Amino acid sequence: MPRLLALAPLPALAASLIAAGAPRLSIGGTPLVLLFGLDAPGALLLGVAALLWVAAGAYAAEYLRDGAHAGRFAACWLLAAAGCLGLFVAADLVSLYAMLAMMTIGAGGLVIHDGTPRAWRAAATYVGLALLAESVLLVGLVMLAAEMPGPGLAIDDAVATLAASPHRDTILALLVAGFGVKAGLVPLHVWMPLAHSAAPVPASSVLSGAVVKAGIIGLIRFLPTGEAMPAAGHLLAVAGFVTAFYGVAVGLTQRHPKAVLAYSSVSQMGVVVAVLGLGLAAGDGGAGIAAAFYAAHHVLVKGALFLAVGVAAAGAQGRRGWVLAPALLLCLGLGGLPFTGGAVAKFAVKDAFGTGVTAALSAASAAGTTMLMLHFLRRLAGAEVKDAARAPTGLLLPWLAMAAAALLLPWFLYVPAGLGTVGGATGLEATWNAFWPVALGAAFAFALRGRADHLPKVPEGDIAAALEPAAGLTLRLGAALEGLDADLRRWTVASVGLVLVAVAIGWTLWRG
Amino acid sequence: MTLLAETVAPAAGGGWLVAAIIFPVVALLLAVAGGARFAARVGVLALPAGLAIAVAIADGVAKHGVLGYYVGGWAPPLGIALRADVLSAAMLVTTAIVASGAGLYALHDFGPPREPGGGRQTLGFWVSLLGAWAALNLAFVGRDLFNLYVALELLTFAAVPLVCLDGRAPTLQAALRYLLYALVGSVLYLLGAVLLYGAFGTLDVELLATVVRPEPAAWAAAALMTAGLLAKTALFPLHLWLPPAHAGAPPAASAVLSALVVKGSFFIVLRLWFDALPGLATAMAMQFIGLLGAGAILYGSALALRQSRLKLLVAYSTVAQIGYLFLVFPLAFDASAGRLVAGTALAGGLLQAVSHAFAKAAMFMSAGLVAVALGHDRIEGFGGLARARPVSLLAFALAGVSLVGLPPSGGFAAKWLLLSAAVESGQWWWAVVIVLGGLLTGAYLILVLMRALQEPAAPTASLRPVAAWREAVPLALALLAVLLGLAGLAPFQPGAGTGAVAAAEAFQ
Amino acid sequence: MSPTTLFGLCGAALVGIGLYGLLTDSRLLRKIIAFNLVGSGVFLLFGVIARRGAAAELFGDPVPQALVITGIVVAFSATALAVALLLRLHEAGGGATFDTPADEAGVKRPDP
Repeated sequence: MPRLLALAPLPALAASLIAAGAPRLSIGGTPLVLLFGLDAPGALLLGVAALLWVAAGAYAAEYLRDGAHAGRFAACWLLAAAGCLGLFVAADLVSLYAMLAMMTIGAGGLVIHDGTPRAWRAAATYVGLALLAESVLLVGLVMLAAEMPGPGLAIDDAVATLAASPHRDTILALLVAGFGVKAGLVPLHVWMPLAHSAAPVPASSVLSGAVVKAGIIGLIRFLPTGEAMPAAGHLLAVAGFVTAFYGVAVGLTQRHPKAVLAYSSVSQMGVVVAVLGLGLAAGDGGAGIAAAFYAAHHVLVKGALFLAVGVAAAGAQGRRGWVLAPALLLCLGLGGLPFTGGAVAKFAVKDAFGTGVTAALSAASAAGTTMLMLHFLRRLAGAEVKDAARAPTGLLLPWLAMAAAALLLPWFLYVPAGLGTVGGATGLEATWNAFWPVALGAAFAFALRGRADHLPKVPEGDIAAALEPAAGLTLRLGAALEGLDADLRRWTVASVGLVLVAVAIGWTLWRG
Repeated sequence: MTLLAETVAPAAGGGWLVAAIIFPVVALLLAVAGGARFAARVGVLALPAGLAIAVAIADGVAKHGVLGYYVGGWAPPLGIALRADVLSAAMLVTTAIVASGAGLYALHDFGPPREPGGGRQTLGFWVSLLGAWAALNLAFVGRDLFNLYVALELLTFAAVPLVCLDGRAPTLQAALRYLLYALVGSVLYLLGAVLLYGAFGTLDVELLATVVRPEPAAWAAAALMTAGLLAKTALFPLHLWLPPAHAGAPPAASAVLSALVVKGSFFIVLRLWFDALPGLATAMAMQFIGLLGAGAILYGSALALRQSRLKLLVAYSTVAQIGYLFLVFPLAFDASAGRLVAGTALAGGLLQAVSHAFAKAAMFMSAGLVAVALGHDRIEGFGGLARARPVSLLAFALAGVSLVGLPPSGGFAAKWLLLSAAVESGQWWWAVVIVLGGLLTGAYLILVLMRALQEPAAPTASLRPVAAWREAVPLALALLAVLLGLAGLAPFQPGAGTGAVAAAEAFQ
Repeated sequence: MSPTTLFGLCGAALVGIGLYGLLTDSRLLRKIIAFNLVGSGVFLLFGVIARRGAAAELFGDPVPQALVITGIVVAFSATALAVALLLRLHEAGGGATFDTPADEAGVKRPDP
């Protein structure tokens, strides 16, 4: 069964290549019509996500060869894949919500796969926060649906309604909070480092690469970027930048390579949200596709790097270069090193950041990312190797394929995505602008080398760990409730209660 | 007796309504006459036939809007009217499906007795099942408040033996507690009915709606009847009897009790407020009923989280899910018109009643199979269950999907409609309760599933075998609950579809 | 005081006494008897209403009388069921009140 996992996302890959802009598919009759369609950001993210699911699926087949629970893993994997890929094609409110729920359940199952207490704790935090996010989203979606004129629930109609809604700010706040959890906006990010480092390698790869994009595609779809909303947009951008720098800062204190990568994902999603926020503030309708392009590059890089952690741990005897050399390129690429895929991604969002403070923050975040990624590379190189074996080819190939895709694919996707011509990314000025933050980050990383290990260690899931004492309070509350129930269920109490209920209803009928 | 002119003439197809009530009674009498050896066979044959009758009624309602019948040809106020609208049809079909499922599932425990002289429990189960079914059908189509009282009493008399089929002291005590509390409830209801008759001279639902005035007698009557019905529905804080009764009964009986029996008295609350006394409702009274519902949701879910035994957890989950049903009242109250209005909220409540019926029946049945396989139902001992009994666990999980309210389940559609009603009427506080309830529900179900997914503490060699067909019944019911949203949201979307129009007409 | 008022007050008093017993007396048999008291009170009230209908119109209102007869049958059945259950509970060794620990034990594991 796990051997075939790589085949499951192939239809999605095909769809992203041929079905973009095709007429929508509608399932069901009026008034509940489930709509599925593929716009430019959806097609872009669907394609790269499907590619990652294929590669990680092939990787998982090898990874799970002798492990227990392969069937359970496959079931959760497919559920998560269906929800994740379905999310990019969902074009109405109900199917969007359905896909999110499916993805959460599947991903939760993937996180607990190892069955360690750490995995259970991570899964509980993840599923709990995800359900909370979905509940908040549900309220937002219902509020939106209530104001839509027709019986249909298509997302683009909903966004048109949102722009003119009297409850626009409330609905936007609910949607941003809901998708913010999915995308890991600080302080709603706590589940991400826990879940991504506890899951098995192929699962962390898709979780950090593809699954977190659920929040991004949600924001792209729902933020009414066609119209300038400076206050809301700037607020969102601030949240994005805070997340971007917070992720870097806490990530530098982490020892485990997967935890470092997870915090880097937090940081990168912050950058994407900042792009969207600035787009919203300026009323720039093109911010959506730019953010999607940046996120698509992150799908490939982060997916690949998690696979690299697994390859390195499986024993890269004699093949160390095959792991570390591409990983170095990818790491610097995430910072925006010229001529890598990352440079194109940075180029795509350059206009969104504009000039002045935001451009400086963007450059600082690129430097920070470079620093964080070089820290990751050190931890990766220093990671313990399971045994002296060579990493199996079944693990090595998917990693190399993803690494190549991350480096090259953005160059080929730029024009089809409708972002203009890619030539500007190789110009002298663009090359310099992309190069100096990387160089700066590398210099800092060099200065910091060795000292990172002496930084105060922030536990994975930082805030969540700090909140754990609250659990004891909840338990005590539960015990108190149980005592209350024993009293309420005594005959005399319940019968007097019945009389009181009758009196209360009579009184409210009389007075009200 | 000028009221006679205003009554609605019985519509075509009313004979089916009589059949829906008489048929289970005839089967019940046959079962009693035939004894234990015969009872299971009668029941198994009667259930699908009864399902066909329910479907015929639903078909008639879909075509004509309502079906009506005057018993003995006497029109109200002297005679008794039977009437089926969209609400009745939905509940009739749900009852028939769940009862059929329970009957099928029960064939293992309550099949024809193997040794002569045995089978007291078998006879008790089938007679009670058929009796409860007849009483429920009567409650769904009755249009006379006294007639509904009789239906309520019959329902209680049929339900109480289901609680104590095994005849052990704890279940007998649970049954007696249930019976006595339900009797207090029904006596309050009867007192209210007497007051209504004294003040307005009729108990017919249609006629009452035209003559009821807001005055002390009507307030007192409405308060007494509602409180009595809440006691029978086990709405928080009147739930003292439910957890031990529902958790102690055999699984097939628990399924019927939790899925259907509590809905009988809830349905009469709906009838009372939406059909008989819609103009009597006040904002404060409806908020109060909603408050009890909200209390039930949060309190029941929190206590379900604390249970160490699966059947008690499922029983407390029923306490919580009943709460959603009563959110209909504040949400359906039109403040500007000062009356209850049938619309999105009522559709959501009905869908919640139906999807909870399927999901909870599936849950109790799969919990029963888990208990049979393991020999206990302690949640902490569930390790390895996912591998040992995957189908039962899948049925439990799918039923859970509907309880939590994930799409495309019926529970999701119900929540969506209730949330829409809360948003449309600006009563955001009920939306908060609905969302919190969903989170707590998710929490207690995930706790169970996580345990089942863990490795067993000890080898699971001692598992007892369970027949595959028994696992298929809860799985089918759970699938129904999950797929209900696809069919369920469509007819109830406000402003479109024939279902909502018919439902609205049925209330006029 | 007219006979109607007198009967009405009697009915109300019976309901009150019965409810008091149902609520406070812990002995189950007494609860069953108290339930019958409440029932009798309600039926008496119904009789009063039939009587009042008779004053307003030509003959006695037949509907409450029919309802009372039905109600008495229902109450009788309820009493029979409750007493039967109480006897079974007694035979099974359970207590004669709701305050015994057998209740809080609640659920025993289902028999295989």
